[in-house]
Amino acid sequence: MEPTRNSHATLVDLLDRVLDKGLVINADLIISLAGVPLIGVNLRAALAGMETMLEYGLMKEWDVRTRVWESEHRKKNVEPIYTAVVGR
Amino acid sequence: MSLETQHRAKTQATLATEAIVGEEGRYVYCVANAGEEISLGKIGIEEHEVYAIPYKDVCAVVHNCPAQPYHSDDQEVVKAWVMTHQKVVDAACERWGTVLPLSFDTVIREEAEKSAEQNVKDWLKQEYEEFKRRIEKVRGKAEYGVQVFWEPKVIAQSLTSASPEITRLDEEIKTKPKGLAYMYRQRLENLMKHEMETKADECFKDFYGRIRKYTDDVRVEKTKKAEPGLQMIMNLSCLVYRDRYTELGEELGKINRMRGFAVRFTGPWPPYSFVGGA
Repeated sequence: MEPTRNSHATLVDLLDRVLDKGLVINADLIISLAGVPLIGVNLRAALAGMETMLEYGLMKEWDVRTRVWESEHRKKNVEPIYTAVVGR
Repeated sequence: MSLETQHRAKTQATLATEAIVGEEGRYVYCVANAGEEISLGKIGIEEHEVYAIPYKDVCAVVHNCPAQPYHSDDQEVVKAWVMTHQKVVDAACERWGTVLPLSFDTVIREEAEKSAEQNVKDWLKQEYEEFKRRIEKVRGKAEYGVQVFWEPKVIAQSLTSASPEITRLDEEIKTKPKGLAYMYRQRLENLMKHEMETKADECFKDFYGRIRKYTDDVRVEKTKKAEPGLQMIMNLSCLVYRDRYTELGEELGKINRMRGFAVRFTGPWPPYSFVGGA
């Protein structure tokens, strides 16, 4: 299948990235942005009711466990390829 | 006072103290892998001129603004800002190939003895080694979003028919008086929950292994509420070599064609999920 980046259909995916992620700057240098998380919260609530919650109510703990499994798995298993390339 | 009003009051109070009249700031879109001193034109938020501030062979892509955050209660306005932020990062990506994106609304301030411009330069200088390391990590790659959903009803059905115990309970309920039937139903639900989680576990590990092969790195995100009738069981951000995304797409196609499953594949995104943190 082909990836999509149609700006309407993937707005939520964009927001997940642009509002929460990216390079972090030392807090001393930047204007402290008390308003920013709010922008994210309001906008997202309006867009899609996108709380991180699983319907069927039952699988929230499962979701947490899964992420724990992954992080353990990651520690135990192969180093990502880039470390080999960069020779960090 | 509602929570939202409280928040807003707090925000405005903060804004009032932060916005010092006349102070200069630089809104930063991304750090790019080039030492050019160049303008990208008036493509920025509210049509500001976007330009690069270089240090050695890296640069910060910025526009000039007052030292205060962008803020609006109008969601359409905020949406347009966010889209523009993304477009500028895209333009930088197209021009220089590898960029480290920043999140929306990051504004570098001036200080008593130091202009905002100088602050940006000092920041680049101070973080130079780290930026180079991160640029190497994401060079030649892009981020893709992969979300796997299943239809709980379809999955539950197939689990029911595959489990003799569930089938038996399901049958027995019909013959029981009301009170007893209720207890049976509780048992059935618990059993079902357990079976669904076990199945979700299996699927997650299976899919994770298959997807991991085509990616350089993966971040597991929280699952989110999906449209009615669907449940998200996997939410990944994947860092993928640009020439390998078709292979990933083929693998995802296989998952997408499984009965009761659906895959959402988005991107390419700038590598937002792989440039933050340690």
